[in-house]
Amino acid sequence: MPDLLEFHPMLEFKAVDTHYGDLHVLKSVDYRIAAGEIVCLLGGNASGKSTTMKAIMGSVAPTRGEILYEGHSLKGVSTAERVRRGIAPVLEARRLFPRMTVYENLEMGAYTRRRGLEFDEDLARVFSLFPRVEERLQQLAGTLSGGEQQMVAIGRALMARPRLLCMDEPSMGLSPAYVEQVFDIIRTINEQGVSIFMVEQNANMALSIADHAYVLQTGQVVLSGPAAELRQTELIRHAYLGELKVA
Amino acid sequence: MSDYGVLLQQVVNGLSLGAMYALLALGFTLVYGILELINFAHFNVFMVSSFFGMWALQFLGITGQSRVLAGPALAGALVFAFAVTMIGAGILGVAIERLSLRPLRGVRGTAAMITTIGVSYILFNIILLTVGAGSENYPNPLPVVRWQFGEVTLELKELLIWGVAVVLMLALHFFVNRTRLGKAMRATAQDAEAARMMGIDVDRVIVTAFFLGSALAGAAALIFGLYYNYTSFIIGYTAGLRAFTAAVLGGIGSIPGAMVGGLLIGLIETLGGQLIAVRWTDVIIFSILVLVLVFVPTGLFGRATPTKS
Amino acid sequence: MRNAVGIRRLLPTVTGGGVLSRVSLRRRARFGVLMVTAAALLFPVINGNDADIDSAANAFAFAALALGLNIVVGFAGLLDLGYAAFFAIGAYAYGVASSWQVQPEWSGFWEPWQWLDLVSRFHTANGDVVHFQVSFWLMLPVAAAIAAFFGVLFGAPTLRLKGDYLAIVTLGFGEIVPIVARNTPSVTNGAMGLNGVAAPRLFGYDFGVNATPYYYVGLALVAFLIFTSQRLKDSRIGRAWMAIREDEIAAAAMGVDRVRFKLLAFAIGAAFAGATGTFYVAKLQTATPEMFMFPVSVMVLVMIVFGGIGSVWGVVVGALLLQILQSWFLEDLSQWLHALGRLVNVEWLQHVELASSIELIFGFILVLMMLYRREGLIPAIRRVAPLSLDEQTAQIGRGGFDRLPGPLPNPPPLAGEGRVGARAASGPLLEVSDLTVRFGGLVALRSVELSVPAQTVVAVIGPNGSGKSTLFNVVTGVVPAGRGSIRFAGEAIERLRPHEILERGVARTFQNIRLFPNLTVLENVMIGMHARLDTGPMGALLRLPANRREETAAREHAREILALFGNRLLPRADHLAGSLSYANRRRTEIARALATQPKLLLLDEPTAGMNPAETLELADQIQSLNHNGLTILLIEHKLDVVAMLAEQVIVLDHGEKIAEGPPEAVRRDEEVIRAYLGRSAAFA
Repeated sequence: MPDLLEFHPMLEFKAVDTHYGDLHVLKSVDYRIAAGEIVCLLGGNASGKSTTMKAIMGSVAPTRGEILYEGHSLKGVSTAERVRRGIAPVLEARRLFPRMTVYENLEMGAYTRRRGLEFDEDLARVFSLFPRVEERLQQLAGTLSGGEQQMVAIGRALMARPRLLCMDEPSMGLSPAYVEQVFDIIRTINEQGVSIFMVEQNANMALSIADHAYVLQTGQVVLSGPAAELRQTELIRHAYLGELKVA
Repeated sequence: MSDYGVLLQQVVNGLSLGAMYALLALGFTLVYGILELINFAHFNVFMVSSFFGMWALQFLGITGQSRVLAGPALAGALVFAFAVTMIGAGILGVAIERLSLRPLRGVRGTAAMITTIGVSYILFNIILLTVGAGSENYPNPLPVVRWQFGEVTLELKELLIWGVAVVLMLALHFFVNRTRLGKAMRATAQDAEAARMMGIDVDRVIVTAFFLGSALAGAAALIFGLYYNYTSFIIGYTAGLRAFTAAVLGGIGSIPGAMVGGLLIGLIETLGGQLIAVRWTDVIIFSILVLVLVFVPTGLFGRATPTKS
Repeated sequence: MRNAVGIRRLLPTVTGGGVLSRVSLRRRARFGVLMVTAAALLFPVINGNDADIDSAANAFAFAALALGLNIVVGFAGLLDLGYAAFFAIGAYAYGVASSWQVQPEWSGFWEPWQWLDLVSRFHTANGDVVHFQVSFWLMLPVAAAIAAFFGVLFGAPTLRLKGDYLAIVTLGFGEIVPIVARNTPSVTNGAMGLNGVAAPRLFGYDFGVNATPYYYVGLALVAFLIFTSQRLKDSRIGRAWMAIREDEIAAAAMGVDRVRFKLLAFAIGAAFAGATGTFYVAKLQTATPEMFMFPVSVMVLVMIVFGGIGSVWGVVVGALLLQILQSWFLEDLSQWLHALGRLVNVEWLQHVELASSIELIFGFILVLMMLYRREGLIPAIRRVAPLSLDEQTAQIGRGGFDRLPGPLPNPPPLAGEGRVGARAASGPLLEVSDLTVRFGGLVALRSVELSVPAQTVVAVIGPNGSGKSTLFNVVTGVVPAGRGSIRFAGEAIERLRPHEILERGVARTFQNIRLFPNLTVLENVMIGMHARLDTGPMGALLRLPANRREETAAREHAREILALFGNRLLPRADHLAGSLSYANRRRTEIARALATQPKLLLLDEPTAGMNPAETLELADQIQSLNHNGLTILLIEHKLDVVAMLAEQVIVLDHGEKIAEGPPEAVRRDEEVIRAYLGRSAAFA
């Protein structure tokens, strides 16, 4: 996408540290997501993946370093404002509003946008991606299956018309069939122009659709590179199984 | 009057009381749904608002039962009184939230609830010290009109109460189910963190909940005054207990629960008073409260166990 | 970290000097107490004004109530908003037992009681009736016991409720009692109030209406209750209560029987109020329902919030200050305002009566204290001396340690030990068969089988959400098992409660660390010993030689366990656990688990958050534990640690066991790799 935006990565972490009390969680972490890319963040348990998500959305503030979105620092920017600027989350374990209907959940996704033409366009787009969602529009979200909820959750995020979609473990708790569907949809969304930053535990699936990948281990980036390369290497396995010794 | 007639009359009375308790319970449950906070101050906001209503009517020149209005003058006076009372109550509720509860937002445990006990005391005693312990004669512009249905008497003021209650409940229903902010309130009550991620201003939602809840308490307060023709510093306590039990019975945090709970408690109060004895109604209501909390904490419509540990 | 009322943890602060200042602090405290006692004893002599002495006696009554509520709210963390009910029960118990209110007909049944001088026979126009005249001194403990019974009765329904619901239920009971009192005039004379309550008699001397003897009785009562509170606080009982207050689940996992101790707190708290009720009614010689309604419960709450929740002297000071405020200071201030009003000619100033606005002041105190100083005037949390440079820098030691501290002298036999001893020697220490656990619709564990031979180290690994912590939770009784069986040393434990499982020798740490943040490191570890110590409430109160020996041995044992971690924990023994670094908190949790003298130790991610050097140090220490006879079941993500420690590894994925074997084999297992890295296609 030849664009002025190419000069700024869409999202950039520069030497970011985070702490939880006195626990050092993220340790001088660097990420770059160029516009139009799918970037995935991989890692085993307790690696700092969730904290990365929280830092992007603004629930956690870096203790050092900075996070830049489209060239501008996100320091002090509220979560709501970040959503308005074009970052939308798909939360871990979906976290739909259980006693609201699918339609109302989608409405909440569009909270920062005006009602009117754009809303209807976005809704149509969600329906085209997720025909199942359209079928279940008036159903209470809490009664849907895990896979259906994931569809709604992604749809809900898309209603914010984001430029950057942040997905936190989209495959968690889903049956293999749904996992494939979800990843297919992610690819489609990306082709429609949305950049994707995805935190995932399922390295194989994630690497099959990503452009670039980072691997986290106990808060540090131990591997990074084009997804195709990382897919071939044994090192990923070592990182996941906690075997890579970090200096 | 036959026994049957007496009971039926008490049912009518119970529904009027119940409507009032429902409004009061609604305000209480709106806040609990979002913050999981038991707001003791709510019931003295109710009490203070009844004085707002009284002063509003007095301002119009209506004192005691001296002047009875009709037609547009009556409607105008009532609208004015309700507006003043509800807005005044709403502002009071928001002030309480800003000043005494917001600083405690992150604090785990019962600190916030204890603070609301303190605020409740402050309101109660300010009124006691300024207005005094006597009960005040409530201005009543309503003409006394009665209709007879068999053995049951229905008064104009009861119709008014039911009318106001139904209108307000419908309005609230419309608000939380059809408006953006109302839905944001429901979303926040179900998952505040996720709501924040949607760009919802959770702070604003909380203020709205307090304003609306207190405004409903204000409406209930004006209803109380018009129904009983008096108010005093102690009404928050007695009505508060009923409304609180109503909210718990219906399922704390549930809006339809508060409505149904309110009506049930109203009926229990009048029928219980009739069938057992008035002096035992407090004990009956407290017992219901204790039994529900111990055995069925979710109440009739409530959701599963609260998330706060 | 905050406790039930949100009291902030205080960081260790400087006092100045080291050991020497600590000794003189204690001596200063003793001197202070001596001075206060002397002043209190001499007060009526110095100030002859009967009204003042009367006020002081009332103040003592409320100080006693504050001490009682402090046990329930401050120590055990149970917010009781209906405390006045117990006050009422004690009051009416004495009132009925010593007034003319209740007069049943005379019959033979009453003769032995007459012989004991508890009742007398009274002639009336309609025949002979019974007049109750139970002695005040006898009634004090009896009323306390009756109140304690009601404490248990009212407390029992609240056991499973969380903080604010518990408060509401106690509020409910607190309201029901005075209403019942008002509505049963035959017993209580209803709203008019009991009258003719007999004044106490001591050696023939009748107390009458002079305030001074009541003053001394009140003083003695308060002194006794202070003594009792302090004794309980610094004992196994107090520690158990505070553990419940800080973290109920962790307390149960460390062997505290929550039901028993919560009811004990309610009972003792109620007993204090019951005795005080007797005193108060004897002094006023009347009792009306109004004296015991919600405002009284709130007032006592304000006193303890003001004085310092959890602090024995704090609540006494709080109660006395507020009483002084109400009876003296406000009166004087009102006079002063009247004069000012006359001076500036402002009408309402001349008529303001501040004493009647005491409740308004209470409201402000409650709000302001909650907002700005939740710990109260005299916080319960003490300050500590700073660490020396040596103590601050820890040397990382490899190699673990040689010996575990020996068992406590005379520990109670581990439950279940005798009968299953022989059987246990043969089979595995822990055996899990066909375990299935569901949460709502989600299956967290599915037919899991696990066998841990004695004195081995077994590791459980698996990706996020695979059910590892759930497995620990089920084994330790925190979560109920759905289907399947769990056997420890041959005994089925799946239906037991957490503290019962701990008693049998299974201890654990938690993934997200559940220490008691407002207690010191040493206290945390000593709570681990709860199930191995014997001291009950009477023992705590009397501190017989056996109790003192036990407490000293426990303290020694705790220090020995802390010493296993080099100089990381021992110098910080008196620091609040919440103020420690993340790694040290992990170590403290392990120390606490060791204090329970377990046979099986369940460690949930013990090295999480530690750097590689610290990780290896802890791994060595875990290995030493195993060499010293402990069986260890370990959840760990760092596979090199697993390889170093574990003989057997079990891999869980989505609640199912997918592999089992020695670490090397498991690492190369295709299924395991796929579980961690994810399937690449739907049908791989």
